[in-house]
Formats: sequence, C-alpha cells, structure tokens
Amino acid sequence: MTDTTTEVRMTAGTRVYLYVSLSLVAALVLVPLLTTALGGFKSLGDLRINPFGLPSGWIWSNYTDILFGERYWRQMTNSLFIAVMTVFLTVVVSAMAAFTFAHVKFFGSGQLMNYFLVGLMFPVATAILPLFIRIRDLGLLDSYWGVILPQVAFGLGMSILLFRNYFRNLPDELFQAAFVDGCGYIRFFWYVSLPLSRPIVATVSIVTFVNSWNSYILPLIMLNTETKYPWPLGIMVYRGEFGTEWQLVLAFITLTILPTVIVFFLAQKHIIAGLTAGAVKS
Amino acid sequence: MASVELNEIRKAYGALEVIHGVSLSVEDGEFIALVGPSGCGKSTLLRMIAGLEEISDGEVLIGGTVVNALTPRERNIAMVFQSYALYPHMTVAQNMGFNLMLSGVAKPEIERRVNEAARMLALGDLLDRKPSQLSGGQRQRVAMGRAIVRDPAVFLFDEPLSNLDAKLRVQMRTEIKTLHQKVGTTSVYVTHDQIEAMTLADRIVVLNGGRIEQVGTPLELYRAPANLFVAGFIGSPAMNFLDAAVDGDEDQPAARLVDGTTIRLGPARKVKRGQEVKLGIRPEHLLAGAPGDTVVNGQTLVVEPTGAQTHVVFSLAGEQVTAIVDGGFPVRHGALFEAAIAAEQVHVFDRRSGLAL
Amino acid sequence: MTDSIAMAVARPVASKVHVRYKSPTARGRLPVLVLFLPPALLLFTLFVILPMGEAAWYSLFRWNGYGPPTEFVGLRNFTVLFNNAAFSQALINNGLIIVVSLLLQIPLAIWLAMMLAHKIAGVVAFRLIFFLPYVLADVAAGLIWRFVYDGDYGLFAAIAGFFGVATPYVLADRDLAIYAVLAVVVWKYFGFHMMLFIAGLQAVDRSVLEAAEIDGATGWQKFRYVTLPLLGSTVRLSVFFAIIGSLQLFDLIMPLTGGGPSNATQTMVTFLYTYGVTRMQVGLGSAVGVVLFVICITLAFGYKRIFMRHD
Repeated sequence: MTDTTTEVRMTAGTRVYLYVSLSLVAALVLVPLLTTALGGFKSLGDLRINPFGLPSGWIWSNYTDILFGERYWRQMTNSLFIAVMTVFLTVVVSAMAAFTFAHVKFFGSGQLMNYFLVGLMFPVATAILPLFIRIRDLGLLDSYWGVILPQVAFGLGMSILLFRNYFRNLPDELFQAAFVDGCGYIRFFWYVSLPLSRPIVATVSIVTFVNSWNSYILPLIMLNTETKYPWPLGIMVYRGEFGTEWQLVLAFITLTILPTVIVFFLAQKHIIAGLTAGAVKS
Repeated sequence: MASVELNEIRKAYGALEVIHGVSLSVEDGEFIALVGPSGCGKSTLLRMIAGLEEISDGEVLIGGTVVNALTPRERNIAMVFQSYALYPHMTVAQNMGFNLMLSGVAKPEIERRVNEAARMLALGDLLDRKPSQLSGGQRQRVAMGRAIVRDPAVFLFDEPLSNLDAKLRVQMRTEIKTLHQKVGTTSVYVTHDQIEAMTLADRIVVLNGGRIEQVGTPLELYRAPANLFVAGFIGSPAMNFLDAAVDGDEDQPAARLVDGTTIRLGPARKVKRGQEVKLGIRPEHLLAGAPGDTVVNGQTLVVEPTGAQTHVVFSLAGEQVTAIVDGGFPVRHGALFEAAIAAEQVHVFDRRSGLAL
Repeated sequence: MTDSIAMAVARPVASKVHVRYKSPTARGRLPVLVLFLPPALLLFTLFVILPMGEAAWYSLFRWNGYGPPTEFVGLRNFTVLFNNAAFSQALINNGLIIVVSLLLQIPLAIWLAMMLAHKIAGVVAFRLIFFLPYVLADVAAGLIWRFVYDGDYGLFAAIAGFFGVATPYVLADRDLAIYAVLAVVVWKYFGFHMMLFIAGLQAVDRSVLEAAEIDGATGWQKFRYVTLPLLGSTVRLSVFFAIIGSLQLFDLIMPLTGGGPSNATQTMVTFLYTYGVTRMQVGLGSAVGVVLFVICITLAFGYKRIFMRHD
C-alpha cells in the first residue's frame, strides 16, 4: 500500500529530478566503459580525433586478432584454473573448520576461532615479502599453487566466519535427530550440514571467485613466466608491449572484462547479494 | 522392545545440579509420560535416556544393559522432537529411510519398511514431498514415521504436539495412542500438558525441580495425589486449596476454615486434632443443588459458561473457590452460591510438609 | 517426599560403586577434529600468521632475501621509513582517500540509495549499472581510466579540445594526479557502498517514516531525523570498509600511475611494492608491512570498540 501511495504522490518534477540525476551518474559510469569497447574498433587516428563517437570505420581485426590468438585464451584459462581451485579449496577447507567451530565442543575452540579472525584484519600486502620468501623456499615460486595457496589462506578468516554463523543457525534439534538416526559428526556434516548450506556455499564461492579472478598483487609477485599469467597481469604486460597503440589495448581490455560483465548481468542477483552479504555478515 | 530403568540419575552443570537422583522403572511396552512445569527437568531426563545429554551420575539401563556410554543409535532409541527436526532437503521417504540407509540396509528393504510405516500413518501420497510442502500435522506424522520405521527398543517423545493448534493436537493425541496400541513399543513421553499425559499414558511421572513427586496411573494421581504439588498439577480446572485446622473427633474428623466453616473429612484421613492442614477440593466435587456431608456457600464472583458445564468462582473463607456445575444450572453473578461436598472427596495435606494425610 | 520417591524406586539402590562412563556425545569428537581442523590451521598458519610474524622479525634486518638475515639493524628500517618523503606522501594519500570516501563517496552512495528506494521504472537497471564498476578488476578499471585521462587519445583530450583549452596531462601532473586517482576510486567503489545503503534502507520500517510524516516532518526532516539515524549502523559499516579499502589500495594505482609522478600517488602498498619488492629490500618492505599491520589492527579494534559496539 505504502508503495503505491508514494507513486501517486510523486510529482512530475520529482520524477524528472530523479531520472536526470540517475541518468547523469549512470552516464559517468557507462561512458568510460562504452568508449573503451568502441575504441577497440577504431584506428589509432580515429581514436585521436574522435574518442567518443562511433568508429568511422569498424576495424574488426583489433578484436579478431586477439580472439584468434593464443594469448587471450591462455590468460583466461590460467585465471579460471586459479580461481576454480581457490574456490574449491576455500569452500572445502573453511566449511570443515567452521563445522568444528559450530558443532563440536572442544577446549580452546573460542581462542582458535579468534586466531582465524585475525586474518580478517589485514590485507595480503602486509606480509607479501615474507610470503614471497616462504613460497620460494617451498619451491612453489612461478607455479599456480604459489598463488592459490596464499589466496585460500587469506580467504579463510571470512569464509570460516560466514560458514560458522550459518551452521550455528541450523536448528539444534536437526543435529540431535541425526545423532539419533545414527550420524556421527562427519556423516552429519556430509548428509545434513553441507546439503543445507547451499546459500552460504554460493556466497563464499562468489566472493572468493571474484577476488581471485580480479587479483593482481599475488600473481604479480609469485609468477614470472608469462605463459602462466592470469589476465590482470597479462593485460598489464600487453599494455606495456603495445604502449600507445590504445586501440589494441582497449580491445584487449574489453575482451578481458567481457566475461565478468556477461556473468554479472546473467547472475546479477546472486552476485550483488553474495558480495554485499559477504561484506555485511563478516 | 525393552524396559527402561533409571538408577539414581543426576545431572549437574558445573556446581548446579538440575536432576537430583531420579530412579524410575519403565516396563517393556509401557507408555510413560513425564509431566511437570517448565524447568522441572523432564526434557533433560528424556535427553539423558536418549543419549543426547551426558549423565553426570547414576545409570540408565535399556533392556537390562547399562547404556550410559552408548550413542543414541547404539541404544536403539527413536525420538520425536518438538520441532520435528525433519531434514529440510530430503523427501518424506528419504527422511524416514535415512536411519536405515545409514545402517546400510538394502534399498528394497528400506523401501518396503518406509512404505509400511507410511501406510500405517496415512503418508502414502506424500512420500515424494519435501517437509516444507507439508502441513503441521503431516510433519508430525513424518516425524513419527521416521521413528517407527526403524523398529526401535524405545520411543522417546519430546513435547511432540506443542507446535500444533488445539484441534490438531487432540487428533494427533489419538493417533499416537492408536499407534502405541498397534506397535506396542516402550514409550517415554514428555509433556507439560497434564491432559495429554492423562489421556495417553499407562503411568505418569510428575516431576518438579529435578525430583519425582509421584509416579502412578492417571487415576491414581487424580484420586490420591501424594502431595500438594501433584494435587495442584493434575486436574483441570485445578484443585481448590483452603487453609484449615483439624477439628471434630476420631470417628468423625472435620476441619475448621479460617472463617469458622466446618468441613467434614473422611474417616480414613490420618489427622490429629488441632493439626494445621490444607484442604483440597476439586471443582467437580463441589456439587450445586445436591445433598452432601457438608454444604458451603459464598457470593458468586465469576460465571464462566463453557457450554456443557459452567465454571463458577465463588468466595469461601476469604478465598476464591471454583466449582463446576451443569450448563443448565442457574447461577447469577453476585448471588449466593451453595454447594455440597462429600467427606470422602476432601483431600487433606499437612500444611508444613505438603504431604497427603 | 521420601514416600513418593520410594514409590518410584524400582529396585534397591544399586551398590555405591561409581563407574565413570564416557559421554556418548563426546565420542567421535576426536576424529572430526583431527580430520577437519588441520587443513585450515596449517594453511592459515603457514601463509598468514607466520609471514606476519616473520615480517616483524625481518623488519629488524637489512636483507636482500638470500641466505639467512644476518645484518641486524634494530629499528633503523623504521627510522628510514618515517624520514622518507615518499612514504610520508603515501601516508598522506591513504588519509586523503579516507577523507574523500567519507565526504564524497558515502554521501553520494546515500543519495543514490535514497533515489533508488523509490518505486520507479528502471530502478533495477540503475542499480546494476552503478554496481558494475565494483565487480570489474581494479587493474581493468585503472587501465580504462588511464585511457580516459590520456592527453593524446583519451576522453579528456577530446573534452579539452571541445572547450578549446590546452589538453591537461592529469596523470603526469604532480599536483593533479592524486585527484585523478581519487576520482577513479570513487567511480570504482561508490556502487558497493550504495548497495550497503539500499540494504540498510530496506531494513527501515516504513511505518516509522509514515509516523514522522503524520508528525509533520518534511522530506528533508524525515531524512535528517528518522532515516539517517536509523541508517547509523550501515554508515559505520560503510566507513569501516572505506578505511580498510583505502589501506590496501594497490591494484588500481599500478595501471594508472604506478605511484608516480615523483611518488605523488604512492599509497602504503605501492610504496611497499616499489621500494621493498622490486628492489628486494626485505627489511624495509617488512617494516612497511608492520606499519600497515599496526594501523589495520588499531583501526579495526579501535573502530569496532568505539563506533560499532552496539551493532
């Protein structure tokens, strides 16, 4: 009821004000993105004279050269592999740990949980040099695992917290019913906790995947063979290589963010909910 | 099926003891109800029998074996929870068969037993539904189905009807009774509702403050409550209590209320002259317009018609006393209400110890 | 009472031999602990806690990362750090980012959230558009804006040309570069904060606003005296994220300016990268890490204690 009354009472003036303001901000967001995508179709000269408008001649080769080259796909595959492994390990490892915090009473449980929560307090950058030395000493430098393992470790604090809060809110009687039915802790985890935690698995996965997919500093420090680079590193190398040939760089940027944009629009509800809930609940 | 024995069971959380040495013996096939006000320890006691709660001291025996260290599964008990605790992600059939699946029973056998239980509980059409698609009563039946599928030694019920509305509660009560008569499994049933306990149980255990007040059949508890607590707890509306002092002679004992009214007592009551007592009179034993050993009267304060019967609250010796009269009996607010009491129906309790005399 | 208990006792009280039974609920705890905890514990200790501790240790040495650290220098790395102009600039910049977040980004986010709370057509589309920069990688956003700011090919060049003024090379200008960076920070993150406020607004009970209306509050008064106080916890949360985000800002700076020109846009993390990582000065870099850690922990605890204790 309240919604309809606000609609009815909204004057034409308010309406204009709303749409003009919102459109202005939307333009500020979209113009850089659209000019980037369009810029990829232009020649360098065209770009110089006319960065805003449509290309005077559509140069598809800027895009097709990248799409038919190996480099773009290799970087995407690298990023995908790193992100999928990070998500998988984060979900498995943190769900198991969170389960013990939520359901198993043991001495020092609270302190141990706080230990993990310390991980929420500071970014990877803080310990990046000792981390580099550790990865080097473990012989993981320039390998995917040198990126994946620290990413998982730094994601544990938040993931464990999210999982633990979710597990804790499962009704206690469910656990007792399962106990009566003959479940031990591990079977309860497998047959009851996990199947019931799809929403939180989704949240943790989305947050972890987006973080990993976009992550730059860890691969920058841990990887030094270009064939292993994920796309954020690759894009910087590409830009370094092609310097001021902006039309190529723009085409490359467009193609690299395209998967993100497509997935975002397809699964916007889940992604927005996941990213904001992930932040708010932790 | 098996008997259940509790032997000096205690439960303490740190220094705080909540169950103070409870002993009880439940026979094979018996239906026992544990009743008491909230916080009396009845649920804790049940959970100790189930193996969900550690036993601080004493022993629990099921079928003659000490089960203190056994898990619920090893005790072979089944439990129906207050919130039903159905697995939300499983269908009705999966919920009921989960236990059998965990014990590695073959699929066709699981199916057979689930179907059999479903038939018994009229759940046949619902087997593929998820709990969220069921009504409260249906969920309740699934919870019971889950318990009977496994053919346990003991059924435990933890206030299973308290989440249902009044009408459904009465219906499910009948179903539980029918079920017990059919399968005959030893059952321990926790409830705070004394009517539920009275209607369902072979014997009732009244608990208060972590101790047993009385154990007996429903009628024993009703007719011969051992103390003030049981007398006040069993029966609805609750028994009226009046302070009095014993008067009269050996073969015709009587008690004098504070306002001087004398009430005749049964000759079997072991009372001494001058003893300070509390009299207990059930509302249904205050008979209006009938002859009796004693006739009392007082001003009518409240008239509550319920249809077949009318509850009348009138004043007697400075107390408010409730009586039940026939729905057609004329009573008027403010008028004088007169009721007769048979001497045999007057319960007498020692005022200090609270014990029945 | 004793009578009634006697009625209940089924058999004579058993001999007072006390057997301690193991609790059934405690059984099975060990396997689950042994299986479920160590993976997380190991990863976390190895890659989060130990490196942090090592950072503190290494910060007391001059070390290039090879061989064991031997050249103990005490707190000299820290004195070097605080006497370093670039590091001071980095601290100032981090502070500036926080200030801009508070004064510009959060009001902007609240304003947009309030507008999007109206039931008008296209609300969902606007939300999506505003949130979009947040899901893009910092690196990609940085590169896009590097193009936008580009004085030869970019949008700024075209705009300047349109007005007939000399093209500003904002990212190369020591005074302007940091503001250019700040604009990108706001562009990238306002959508996230807006989403927080939209969620916060949805939790505000509409009937409270109606009550205020009946009390005669105007639109602005409703916002000032009802909505804003009720959004308090969201504001505090939003500020918290702005602070934490500012302290770890790195990915966005690298493609834009790399910390330049002349260290004008350094943040603590870009400083750490430029001076610690690329030059393999483990001691100095670790010292930056320790400073960052201390700031993060102090802020996190302090902020939570002071502002978020009721949330």
